[in-house]
Amino acid sequence: MSKAMERIMDAVDLETFIVCKDEEEGKKLSIQLMDELGFKDVNIVFCQHQGPGARVRLRGYVYKPGDRYGWLKN
Amino acid sequence: MSFERKKVLLAPLDPVHDIGLKMIKRGLERAGHDALLLPPDYSQEEIIKAIIDNNVDVVLISRTLGYGVAEILGRFVDLAEAAGIRDKVKIGIGGMAIRPELAAELGFDAGFGPGTTVEEAVAFVEGREYVPDEIRGKKAKKDITRGYDYSFKNKSIEQLLDKIVDGIIDYVSDKTTSAIQRAELRRQILKTSNESERQSLRLEYAKLCDKIVKDFYEAGKYREKTRPLLPEELKALETYVNETNSRMNPLKLQHADKNPLVFIQYGTGCPFMDIAHIKSCEAWGADGAVHFDPSWGARTEGFFEGYITHEEDGSVITYENLKRIKDSLSPFTLWQVRAHRGLNTPETVLLAGIIGADLTKINIAYGSLGGGTDPERLTVDAVCAIKYAAEFNMPFDVVTNEELCGVPAYKAFAGMLIVSKLGLRLGGKPILQPLFCYSPEVMVSGQMQDNYVDFNAAKILCLRNIVNAPIWCGAPIGFLTQTEDRVQSSLMTALHASLASSLGVDGISIASADEAFSGGPISVAARIDTLKATQSAFRFFGKSGIVPTDSAEKWAYEIERGIENVLESIVQNGNFIDALYKGLLGSREEGAYPGRAGRGTVIKK
Repeated sequence: MSKAMERIMDAVDLETFIVCKDEEEGKKLSIQLMDELGFKDVNIVFCQHQGPGARVRLRGYVYKPGDRYGWLKN
Repeated sequence: MSFERKKVLLAPLDPVHDIGLKMIKRGLERAGHDALLLPPDYSQEEIIKAIIDNNVDVVLISRTLGYGVAEILGRFVDLAEAAGIRDKVKIGIGGMAIRPELAAELGFDAGFGPGTTVEEAVAFVEGREYVPDEIRGKKAKKDITRGYDYSFKNKSIEQLLDKIVDGIIDYVSDKTTSAIQRAELRRQILKTSNESERQSLRLEYAKLCDKIVKDFYEAGKYREKTRPLLPEELKALETYVNETNSRMNPLKLQHADKNPLVFIQYGTGCPFMDIAHIKSCEAWGADGAVHFDPSWGARTEGFFEGYITHEEDGSVITYENLKRIKDSLSPFTLWQVRAHRGLNTPETVLLAGIIGADLTKINIAYGSLGGGTDPERLTVDAVCAIKYAAEFNMPFDVVTNEELCGVPAYKAFAGMLIVSKLGLRLGGKPILQPLFCYSPEVMVSGQMQDNYVDFNAAKILCLRNIVNAPIWCGAPIGFLTQTEDRVQSSLMTALHASLASSLGVDGISIASADEAFSGGPISVAARIDTLKATQSAFRFFGKSGIVPTDSAEKWAYEIERGIENVLESIVQNGNFIDALYKGLLGSREEGAYPGRAGRGTVIKK
């Protein structure tokens, strides 16, 4: 894990708009995107498709409760 | 230090925007300086000329538009150097497009981004360090119950409540439970300094626990998905908390005096993550924090000991966990430990009291109709718990969460008022906690078909018509109105907070922007979203308010009549506990089920 990533308290949210034909495709691309960015523990918090694409809020957990937190080492 | 009058030139390097500079000009003049404000849309060369012509000491440039900002400001510095004024004149830049790091990179003496105060700019001009108007030290804990005398305006309801409370006190007088016995053992365990006595008390305690807890005391086994926190982790946490406290300068959410206190709810499972979230929320203005324990903890007889983390929702209650959380709080933070459901209610309140919690939460009606605990068991336990709350001078809220099961507000309120009156009789300080929610009742009956305002307002108006008691809306406000959309969720919270403020309530519990998301733990960023939204809403409404329609008064009257009818039916029934089983305070058809945990465990003394 990168040094900067270790300082994330719990999760990284990525909010964007994905051009896609429906919600299903939006979700598929969302997961693919987070995977490409290197996140392992990924959730789609919010996804709403209208017309041209999907408004999404994607989450990659860096630490979950009970983990050994990188920011606590410093 | 003697005052040195400065000559300051203020110049908007922008086609139109200069409002920020106008405010700073006023602040500088008030502070005794000479301030000259150039009109917008001057060229850079004209500004340089004005600096020279007026022989100023300080220049403040503003830039709102973001496009090409680095190039434009970079050129300004070059021109200032070429004109020979760079070393003689102090130059600061500010505005929406400015960040301090950009200013430093371009060679300015200071950069003021969005949110800069006039005082900050004046401090720069005067060459002194800016000391923000800190609320640290000024922010103090507020007693929610202060100023309330609990006098009943509705005497008929008061008389009915007194009769029911008489019956409860009489019923429990010759009864006890293992939870009550454990609580007293815990008190002794914490009191004794003799290790062998402590060990023998522990074994006695273990005999009164479920197997899973007994195994911990007798064989050192931990429950699945829990683990002890290591000494090095505890040390690292201490460092983290100390460092965080040293730079804590909390924001203030309230804009008007009437804005309620704002509580957040935590229970990530890990006391360390809880502390990290609480500290962040304190910094962003939260006034209080509410401890959530795991749902299995409420259905397990007995508590573990030590520092324990948990991989699922809800943070395990142990003396050590609670103490560590309490010790990490800022002195101004109100801290509540919930004890409104479950098989460890007396010990929870006792621990909270010993450790120094400010508030707790007890409700027999919800705990036994929606919380899963047997009505008789919880009634006996709750009377003991309320006595502990009184002993430690800890006010407790009585939350009507059974509304979320489908119980109509008037029935839930009847239960809330019974427990509140019981609390008063036992020397406690109850706080009414009606829900601000889109409940099953209103989904079916349509009271929120038009708006979310009237029925929530009706609840508050109704309670005010009955008794002069503190009100803290829960929990969290806006329940079932929020979606997974961060903006929508934060907005719903902020609007409900504004409604609560408009109705003059004393406190609110707010959700995070993750309220409707169930796929993982709540993130700290989602907590800050709703705190910021609430702060903005308080700023927006100030002392003004939200005006409900006539429906609010009509429904307030109907709820009050409904409460009275329920209380009458309980008095006629003759026994409060029996009334809970029979559904008089919420029936199976309405979604309330008398809990089974702890059934048949009440012991005759």
